[in-house]
Amino acid sequence: MKENIVYFDNSATSWPKPKEVLKSIKYFTNEIGGSPGRSGHRMSIEASRLVEETREVIGEFFNYDNTSRIVFTKNITEALNICIFSLLKPGDHVITSSTEHNSVMRPLRFLEKKGLIISIINCSPNGNINISDIEKNINNNTKMVILTNASNVIGTILPIDEVAKITYKHKIPFVIDCAQTAGEIPINVNLKKYKNCVITFTGHKSLLGPTGTGGMCIGEDVKLMPIIFGGTGSKSDKDVQPDFLPDYIESGTLNILGLAGLKAGVSYLLKIGLNNIRNHEKLLLSKFIEGASKIKNIIIYGSKDPDAQVALMSFNFKNINPSTAGLILDKKYSIMCRVGLHCNPNAHKVIGTFPGGTIRFSFSYFNSLEEIDYSINALSKMSKIK
Amino acid sequence: MMSGVITFYSSQQVMKAEKILKNYNYEELLIPGPREISPNCGVAICFDYSKAEEIKELFKKEQILYEKICYYPEAKKISKWF
Repeated sequence: MKENIVYFDNSATSWPKPKEVLKSIKYFTNEIGGSPGRSGHRMSIEASRLVEETREVIGEFFNYDNTSRIVFTKNITEALNICIFSLLKPGDHVITSSTEHNSVMRPLRFLEKKGLIISIINCSPNGNINISDIEKNINNNTKMVILTNASNVIGTILPIDEVAKITYKHKIPFVIDCAQTAGEIPINVNLKKYKNCVITFTGHKSLLGPTGTGGMCIGEDVKLMPIIFGGTGSKSDKDVQPDFLPDYIESGTLNILGLAGLKAGVSYLLKIGLNNIRNHEKLLLSKFIEGASKIKNIIIYGSKDPDAQVALMSFNFKNINPSTAGLILDKKYSIMCRVGLHCNPNAHKVIGTFPGGTIRFSFSYFNSLEEIDYSINALSKMSKIK
Repeated sequence: MMSGVITFYSSQQVMKAEKILKNYNYEELLIPGPREISPNCGVAICFDYSKAEEIKELFKKEQILYEKICYYPEAKKISKWF
């Protein structure tokens, strides 16, 4: 099956993974075993070592050497929830954008029912925000700004470095959702300087690790709380949660197999170099935009500028709906993609595709220009379906 | 000869400490945490107690959070085995 697959669903999860990822998981399973931070024998110690090495690799990647403040979670949704439920309470004010994923909007809407006040900064149909709108909305009660680095529907890269400066000036925690950007573009927020920021990441997309991995790098001025309490392997004589990071937030046995894979995935990125990855993905995106723009009956959304967005593209046919298109792409052309609303109804409202949704192609370093050509040819044929 | 033990609150700090001690060529050995000294982290580090003060300074510089650095006669027995 693998031979003929064209995988354009990397924004949902990346595939394939570098061979080193499976090798690392296999090595851990067969040779190390052990539960990190629990026992004192060599297998457990080696597992603890692997966890710390994974923190170091993540730290190198995000240019943040305070590994105690690099916390692992089961996915980025959990990391975002920890930030939201730690920093916001009824009556507080939060600023966010109109292209946020449900992993941000659903917890915010839940808290809104209990009295949270939400300001939503409207994005243009290209997915951009006006930075001055953020500063204008800050008041004495603003307890957090939370933004996606790039939406999973439109892909436009938001200027998080500028927002980091504004929020730092106002001493407001800034939580950055890097689900679609970590591993694809540089995250230009220096946490050593902007200590009010939190970079949240998923492990299984552009960081090339397995599902079940994610986490966050927490600036030193941000005080978070756990949403799960329990065993940490530390302060075991006390039945209250230890108050130091990362243990404070990392209760329960970590996903050590996942972290073994994540370490290998990020190490691979560091070896190849983010610039090389970004350049290749921009090339794929340019070629796709060029080809798809020429097809009658196709509408492309977003900036259409490879420099301004990550390597994903939402589009629609005028003659077939996204669901049918997804089925044909899979069954007839073996092109895997995601159609519909992408857990992000708000972004679809911004580009005017709610409730029907779009077809989304999302590329990775492992896609080729030949695959783009093949897909353009398929889309061209589909555009003629009556 | 190893004659001291360092205990920690968190295994994450043990891993950081071990790496630093290795980098500075200190004799060290990770052992199951002795419960008579600390109920905390499952792993502790045995070392040469005569180096206690310089290691304290090193940990301060490197921001290693440890619980105790103390004399640990049992470590001498460990030295005989390793």
